[in-house]
Amino acid sequence: MNHPRPPTAASPAAPAAVPRHDGVRIGLFAGMAEAAGLRTLELAWDGGSAAALRRRLAEALPSLAPLLARSAVAIGDAYVTDDTPIPAGSDVAIIPPVSGG
Amino acid sequence: MERGPAVDCLLLREPLDPARLLAAVSDAAAGGHVLFVGTTRGITDGVATSRLIYDAHEPLARGQLERLRAEAVGRFGLSRCVVHHRLGTVAVGEASVVIAASAPHRREAFAAAEWLMERIKEAVPIWKCEEHPDGSHRWVHPDAPPAVPHAAGRGAVS
Repeated sequence: MNHPRPPTAASPAAPAAVPRHDGVRIGLFAGMAEAAGLRTLELAWDGGSAAALRRRLAEALPSLAPLLARSAVAIGDAYVTDDTPIPAGSDVAIIPPVSGG
Repeated sequence: MERGPAVDCLLLREPLDPARLLAAVSDAAAGGHVLFVGTTRGITDGVATSRLIYDAHEPLARGQLERLRAEAVGRFGLSRCVVHHRLGTVAVGEASVVIAASAPHRREAFAAAEWLMERIKEAVPIWKCEEHPDGSHRWVHPDAPPAVPHAAGRGAVS
């Protein structure tokens, strides 16, 4: 938990990133992955709610802001609610409005 | 997906097989068997689509499909129910989603298939990209955010 962190800017994750003890790893899908030009990225993150994480990502990648405002957050194979704490070191996914079927 | 037959909820990158799903819900206690096949439209809102590409958060999508399938079985008293969704590139006219449901009476089987499709379109993290004949494409993201189940109310009657 004491490793120095890079600045808050988003940085593309290396394909086989060395496990980090801080920050948050974020998976993107569909139109969000296309808008960001990334399937995954890492942000500096000391912990906070899922809603705060969405705001943080919108600051880092403003092109995602419109979809982020109506996206959900998932950890592993479960959705979380806006007030769910996201600890540093988490692996999360941003789930924009869905269009299956 | 270890509970029940291993084929109950699948995400597949190969053509779906509606007849196989209908056979999978065959049940001597059922008096109604409903098969819904959702196919790729060639025209949406007047714009031609040449093919669809489906993306998904696969672990979350499988979990949500299984949650909804189990809820449908309980809510409508189904005998059996299976749901398969296609991923990757899907040609016009091919099946993108198949639901098969059986119940003692037809009304519940029809209602369950309709209910499941509505929930799938609200909550399961699968996304379609429409490719057009001119080479352009569009990821489809509706206005409404995903319907996130509340931890306390999950599976509850609403």
